Amino acid sequence: MNLVLNGESREIPSDWTDEPLLHLLREHFGLTGPKFGCGVGLCGACTVIIDGVATRACITRAADVEGLTVRTIEGLAEGGALHRVQQAWLDLAVPQCGYCQAGQIMAAVALLDSVPDPAADDIAAAMDGNLCRCGTSARIRAAILRAAEGVR
Amino acid sequence: MKRRTLLIAAAGGLVAAIGAGAGVLSQVPVIPKRPGPSAQGALGWIAHRDGRFALTLPRAEMGQNIATALKQIACTELGAAWDAVDLRMHETTMPRVKATVGSESVQLFAAPLALACAALRDALAAGRVTGAVTVTERPLAELRALRPGGLIGGSPEIVHGREIVTGAPLYAGDVRRPGMLFGRVLRAPASTELPSRPLRWNEAAARAVPGFAALVEDCGPPVGKARGLGIVAHRPGALDAIAAALQVEWEIEGSHPRSDIARAIDVDASLAEGALPHAVLDGAPEAGAWDVDLRIDIPLAAHGSIEPRTAVAEWSEGALAVWTGTQDAFYIRDVLADAFGLEAGAVTVQSCRIGGSFGGRTLCMVEAEAAALARAARAPVKVVWTRAQELALGFHRPPSSHRIRARLEDGRISDWDHTQISSHILFTAAAMPRWMQAATDLVAGDPGVARGMAAPYVLGRARAAYDAIRLPVHTGPWRGLGAGPNGLAVESAIDEAAIAAGVDPLSFRLAHIGDPRLAAVVARAGEISSWGDPPKPAQGMRTGRGLACGIYKAASYAAAVADVAVDARGHVRLTRLWCVHDCGLVINPDQVRAQCEGNLVWSLGMVLLDSLPIEQGRVSAGTFADAPIPRLSEVPPLSVELIESRHPPSGAGETAIVAGPGAIANALRAATGRRPMRFPVRAEEFRA
Repeated sequence: MNLVLNGESREIPSDWTDEPLLHLLREHFGLTGPKFGCGVGLCGACTVIIDGVATRACITRAADVEGLTVRTIEGLAEGGALHRVQQAWLDLAVPQCGYCQAGQIMAAVALLDSVPDPAADDIAAAMDGNLCRCGTSARIRAAILRAAEGVR
Repeated sequence: MKRRTLLIAAAGGLVAAIGAGAGVLSQVPVIPKRPGPSAQGALGWIAHRDGRFALTLPRAEMGQNIATALKQIACTELGAAWDAVDLRMHETTMPRVKATVGSESVQLFAAPLALACAALRDALAAGRVTGAVTVTERPLAELRALRPGGLIGGSPEIVHGREIVTGAPLYAGDVRRPGMLFGRVLRAPASTELPSRPLRWNEAAARAVPGFAALVEDCGPPVGKARGLGIVAHRPGALDAIAAALQVEWEIEGSHPRSDIARAIDVDASLAEGALPHAVLDGAPEAGAWDVDLRIDIPLAAHGSIEPRTAVAEWSEGALAVWTGTQDAFYIRDVLADAFGLEAGAVTVQSCRIGGSFGGRTLCMVEAEAAALARAARAPVKVVWTRAQELALGFHRPPSSHRIRARLEDGRISDWDHTQISSHILFTAAAMPRWMQAATDLVAGDPGVARGMAAPYVLGRARAAYDAIRLPVHTGPWRGLGAGPNGLAVESAIDEAAIAAGVDPLSFRLAHIGDPRLAAVVARAGEISSWGDPPKPAQGMRTGRGLACGIYKAASYAAAVADVAVDARGHVRLTRLWCVHDCGLVINPDQVRAQCEGNLVWSLGMVLLDSLPIEQGRVSAGTFADAPIPRLSEVPPLSVELIESRHPPSGAGETAIVAGPGAIANALRAATGRRPMRFPVRAEEFRA
């Protein structure tokens, strides 16, 4: 059983197939970007992109990504250059504690991949399921618009 | 205390059974030691080798981005380039530093760090490259790091920012050790103030679950009075299945005398029995009718950090290493040494970046669970609390009920009386034994509950008094301690007094403020929000604007202005928030602004959302659906302005929460003509 993880074909070991994808990524593959926040898909800290769609890894069974393409935050930068969303996050110093931000960034990347020039309602719809307790939402909005400007 | 440990290698996993009698705690609790930082001690945080510097962060990093601010100070005083200073998180092998609490990190640590860096700089300039450096006395005015210029007042890329946006390991849960297993300690579904323990369970069914590794009966100190049953697995996802298969039956002793929490903290019921014992303001208001007489109720609320409490523990030849996100690694070490019968030097706690703390990471809980499970399983163990455990076993902002009264004379407040019943924040049942609680209840009250109860105004004959009641739910520090709820109550009453006096709320406040720094932030908030010129109401909406202000810990100042829109069904929407903030000299303005923004979003939460449901004296919430926090679409545009100040730096992490909630509540009053008194506000009370 295989998946394409950040561009490389990787095997899902048989004893991990029933685990949530989040645990497979973090504890088997050692990808610490996606985070555990709630375990029931309500906070978005575990968000990864599966075949182009922002998805909660904590409620996705590992076996269910067989043959699919999974992108985590570790796979965003190319050749040492940060993805424009990552760069916007740094430019505006979005993170406070930072724990939710990998999920926020992946949700924002999926949004901009499908809606390159999002309106306020698009941002709200895409990001409302990604919780941040530190209160960085206003900067997240601004960073998404900044990243969108970069491609216009 | 000697404990018998029996490990049996069995089919399907390793079963650890620990002898009875374990877990008897010493009668003298471990009390956090809180030495203030010194310049000589600060030399232990900074080292030089081969042209590079290593700065060991003497604070917990939990999103206040103090690592960035202290690195700015170190680079400035050393005269070192940003990239020439490597920042490391501390572990308990360094000399003890004070817990990271109370927004003190710049206030207390800036000067000692700058003095130590100046001494190191001078030693290097004198040609020394080895040996110890001695800090010499020098006037603070000579320090480059304590005046604006260069990095001071600048906003470099935040420390850890690159790791955060690339997903690199930073947090306790990111730690992976060879052979690491995954653990959880199950506890009874009951108030943690009721003695409880596992009575019977289906071990065979648990062992049949793929991934099962161990069952552990001695899982360390109880949480409150709740003893647990530990499970260990080879993969984290197996823990849910093992817990379900065990079907643990719990023995729960008795019931709590104050399981009806709303009744237990009813301020009017307490006042009917007499005056409250702990005074904050000791004026004597005259008897008679009141012009303002409000009852304000604010419920139990969770911290809601996105990172649940997490620890990794590993034993090696009788020594214990723990990785955790905590506000006080040294206290965690001391508690673990006490609980496991070790010398302090045999325990090392590595402080990891915390995924949101807000006062919630001050006790030793998950760390002891991980240590006990790792000892029994003879392997490193990671414990990540479930969200339900966070809510059920953590501690929370205490509920509070306030009666607050004011009388006017010639348009000014002549008499003021604020009474409050809450539960404990500092002297809590989770932190100290019963006999010590009895002593503090008698003589000291609880300074955390009192914080912010002294209204920052000249109020004539002013009295403020409170009591703190022991509840079946654990309560403790939550951003701002009592200052958030007290500020909301005080600023609601001041606003109501202004309305009763027929005076504009901004002018009314200025007329009652004696402190010029507070007056300055209020006046400036009026200017940047165009206070007297609120936006035109939108179609079908009632709109209103509110103002509030306050002082945090007698050192930092904030004023906030809020605009709200309320629809016909009573749904409240924030449309704009402003904040003016004065915390003295600002090291990193962008990160002080970020803290203000966070406090404004918490203010929104306090008025519209924060509440933790309780049933029969225990938290019944299990997910973010039951205990929601603000979402992106609920957060309005935020405007923050910082006062340029020559005063010494003071705290920014909890200041604006003294003003934000009052501003929002007062805006709702202005929009609807109805005073919000029960928080979070309910739409049905504000229907058109």
